[in-house]
Amino acid sequence: MSTATRRIAGKSLTYLLLVALCLYTLFPFVWMLISALKPKDEIRARTPSFFIHSPTLENFVQVLVQHDFLTYIRNSLIVSIAACALSLAISLLAGYAFSRNYRMKAVQGTSLAMLVSQMIPGVLLLVPLYITMRNLGLLDTYGSLILAYTTFVIPLSTFMLSSAYDSIPLSLEEAAEIDGAGRMRTLTSVVIPVMVPSIVSVGLYSFITAWNEFMFGYIFISTDSMRTITPAIMLFKGANSVDWGGLMAGSVIAVLPVALIFLFLQKYFISGLMSGAVKG
Amino acid sequence: MRAGEASRTRVNARFAILAMAPAWIFLAVLIGYPLVTVLVDAFTHSHLINRTVSGFAGIANFEKVISDAHFLPAVGNTIVWTVGSVVGEFVIGLAAAVLLNRRVRGQGFFRVATFIPWLVPIVVAGMTWEWMLNPDFGIINSILTKTGLVAEPINFLGDKSWAMATVIFVNIWRSFPYYTISFLAAMQAIPAELHEAASLDGAGAWRRFWSVTMPQLRSVALIIVFIHLIWTAVNFDFIWVMTQGGPNYATITLPILIYRYSLQQYDVGAASALSTLMLVVTSLIFVVYYRVRRRLSDEIVG
Repeated sequence: MSTATRRIAGKSLTYLLLVALCLYTLFPFVWMLISALKPKDEIRARTPSFFIHSPTLENFVQVLVQHDFLTYIRNSLIVSIAACALSLAISLLAGYAFSRNYRMKAVQGTSLAMLVSQMIPGVLLLVPLYITMRNLGLLDTYGSLILAYTTFVIPLSTFMLSSAYDSIPLSLEEAAEIDGAGRMRTLTSVVIPVMVPSIVSVGLYSFITAWNEFMFGYIFISTDSMRTITPAIMLFKGANSVDWGGLMAGSVIAVLPVALIFLFLQKYFISGLMSGAVKG
Repeated sequence: MRAGEASRTRVNARFAILAMAPAWIFLAVLIGYPLVTVLVDAFTHSHLINRTVSGFAGIANFEKVISDAHFLPAVGNTIVWTVGSVVGEFVIGLAAAVLLNRRVRGQGFFRVATFIPWLVPIVVAGMTWEWMLNPDFGIINSILTKTGLVAEPINFLGDKSWAMATVIFVNIWRSFPYYTISFLAAMQAIPAELHEAASLDGAGAWRRFWSVTMPQLRSVALIIVFIHLIWTAVNFDFIWVMTQGGPNYATITLPILIYRYSLQQYDVGAASALSTLMLVVTSLIFVVYYRVRRRLSDEIVG
C-alpha cells in the first residue's frame, strides 16, 4: 500500500516538474504571441494581462509593410537556402571521401583540420573576414553571408553525412559500377537517393543555423535592402525603442519558419541531432 | 588482376581528393587565411580604413590591449558569464533529461517543448526576455510586485548589479536544451539490465542515478561542457543584443571588446592582438580537454 502511494506521489511529482519545465521553455513564446496581437494601449498597460481585449493584426501589418520586414524575410530566405544548398553539395562530396577512403592520409588530415576549424570561433576571425569580404567586393551582398554561413557549417555537415554514408553497403556502389556507371554517376543516382533522411536533417541544421545567425549579418551588411531578419530586429529595437508590439510581431515572424520546419520534421531533426550529439 | 586493383585504388584516391577539394577551398579561404592574418596583424600596425598605417608593431598591440582600462573587467566578466552559463545549463539540462527519460504519457510532447528554445534566433530570445523583464510594462515585474516578492520593479538589464545575472539567465534558457538532448541520447544507450541489477541490489532511484546513470554520462558531459566553455566565452550575440556591454560596462566581455576595437575604433592591430590572446586560451582549454579525455578513456577501458 505504502509503495503504491509512493509511486503515485512520484508520478505526480514527475508530471508537476515536467509542466514547470514546459512553462519555463514555452511561456516566452506565448507571451510573445499575446504581445504581438495586442493594440498599442494594451501593450503599455500598467498591469499587463493575459487576455487581449481587442486583438489586432496592426503590429504585423506595420512591421511587414511599413518597416520592410517582407524584404528582410526574402533576404534571409535567399541567403539561408543558398547556404544550405551549397554546404550540402560540398559536404556530400567531402563526406563521401571521409567514409569510403578513411584510410587515406589526406582524408585523416582533412578530418583533423575540420575538427580544429570547428573550434575556431567566428568572432575571433571577425576582422580578417570583414577585410577579406571587402577585398573580394562582397560586403553588402548576399555572397558574403552565403560564403560565411556555408564555411561554418561544412565541418559538422561533413561529419554527419560521413556517418550516414557509413551505413550504406559498398555492394550497392559496386553493382552500379559493374553496370558501367562512373563514380560521380554512382554517387548521384544510386547512393544519394537512399540517404534522403540524413540529407534532410543535415540540410535543416544548415538552414536553421544560417537563418538564426546574427553577427555576420550585422557586420557585413549595411544597406537596408540587403539586410537579413536577425540584425533587422536588433536595429528595429534601436530605432523604435518603445514599440514592443512591433518588436514581438517581428520576433514571431522570425521564429515562424523554424518553428514550422521543426513541427513537421522534428522526427528527422531530433534523431539527426541525437546521433550527432553522441559522437560530439 | 593486381594491376587492375592498383589502378582502382589510384582512381579511388583521385576521386577522394577531388571530392574534398571544394571543402578545402572554403576552409582555406574563410578560416585558414583569416586565422593566419589575425596572427600576423597582431604584431602589425593596421587600421581598418586608413591603409597608410602599417609596419611591424612588435608587442605594442598587446601592450595596448592589456593596459586598456576595460581589459581586466572584461576578463572577469567573461569568466563569470562563461562559468555561470555553463553551470546553469548543465544543471537544468541534466535535470530535464532525467525527467524526460521517465516513462510518462505525453513524453513526445514534453521532449519537443523542452527543445524549442534552442531553435530560436538569439536575437529573438534576447528581445522576448527583455520585453518580459521590462521594468515598466513587463509581465515578470508585474507578477513579482503583485505577489509582493519585491516592493519595486527591478530594472533587470538597466541595473548594474542585475545585468550580468540576467543575460546569463537568458543564455541558460536558450542553451540548456542542447545538454538535455545529448544527455537523453546517452541515457537511452544505457542498458536497462544495469538499472534492474542495481534495483535488485536494493539501490533506490537516487542511488541508481549516481552510481549507474552518472558514470555512463561522463564522456558526453565532458564533450558538451568543453564545447560550451569555448562557445560561451566567445559568444558575441547575447550580450550585444541585450546590453551592448552596458550598463556602464557591467557586462562587457572580450568578444565585445574585439568588436569595439575593430569596428568602432578601426584598430585592426589591437583587435587581432586580443583575438590572438583568446585563441591561445582556447587552445589551452583544448589541451586540457584532451588530457582529461585521455584519462577518462583509460579509466573506462580499464
